[in-house]
Amino acid sequence: MGYVPLGMVFGFLFVQAGGAWYQALAASLLVYAGASQFAMIPMLAAGLPVASLALAALVINLRHAFYGLSLLDSQPRHPLKRLYLIFALTDETYSLVTTLSPRPSPEQMALLAAVNQGWWVLGTLLGAWLGEQLPVSLVGLEFALAALFAVLTVEQWRATRMWLPLVIAPVSYGLMAWWWPEQALLLAMAVCLVASLLWAGRANRGAA
Amino acid sequence: MNDVYVLLAILAMGAVTFVIRALPFLGGRWFKQSPVARRVGVFLPPAIMALLTVHSVVDLGFAAPGQLLPATVSVLVALALQVYARQPLASIAAATVLYMLWIQLAA
Repeated sequence: MGYVPLGMVFGFLFVQAGGAWYQALAASLLVYAGASQFAMIPMLAAGLPVASLALAALVINLRHAFYGLSLLDSQPRHPLKRLYLIFALTDETYSLVTTLSPRPSPEQMALLAAVNQGWWVLGTLLGAWLGEQLPVSLVGLEFALAALFAVLTVEQWRATRMWLPLVIAPVSYGLMAWWWPEQALLLAMAVCLVASLLWAGRANRGAA
Repeated sequence: MNDVYVLLAILAMGAVTFVIRALPFLGGRWFKQSPVARRVGVFLPPAIMALLTVHSVVDLGFAAPGQLLPATVSVLVALALQVYARQPLASIAAATVLYMLWIQLAA
């Protein structure tokens, strides 16, 4: 259910940026990744190359690579259901299927994922419809993406209880923004990747 | 927005996202057995989320300098609400409304 309002904001912003309702619908059906869908709106409106959008999806959704790990041992038997569950493994679906108790069966997980996407698609359509009806633009609504990232940061912290990444990230961003403002995000990500490899290597030796 | 361009972008983003989500199922054994990969998986996602948060605030300030302060304060509000109340929608809604009111009243 939580997906309806966020989906509405996505559909609304998408239409207000000059997109069509069916394009917003296609995004919610085929991409189905909230934060990167929000990020795609200004990029599409600016006509950035498709490769830039693909790179943005890679960066924003990279954390999803670790979600499947906790589902390796409980996958639906039917190959199509299995593929769909993998496709639909968003933040919300992941946290839902891994925190429900008793833990849902693999078949129920696929169903839950489909219900979640249904709410997201419904919200998208409602928001796109509103965006086409309302003549006023809601200035500042695009801030919802920043707020979504803030919420995800807190939830990542809650899951890991680690302060170091939260300190290294803004510091490296600040340094890179000072050195090369246009590429600050990408450079800071490279710094964080190196830092995580160093940290993982050291922790690994410490454990051995 | 041009249909072909938007469709290509959606397909590219969808494919990238699907491959990311499928990675553990493809290389699951290696992923699970490599302690370094697991630790990177602990360290990197919060760092990336923090970067994206900082970047989106800086981006808003870059678009219009007057928005840097409201964006910074609103993001801090979202962080604090999420830490203490843990209601994602309420955190996002409250911070977004604060930001919208602030920049519209200041304009």
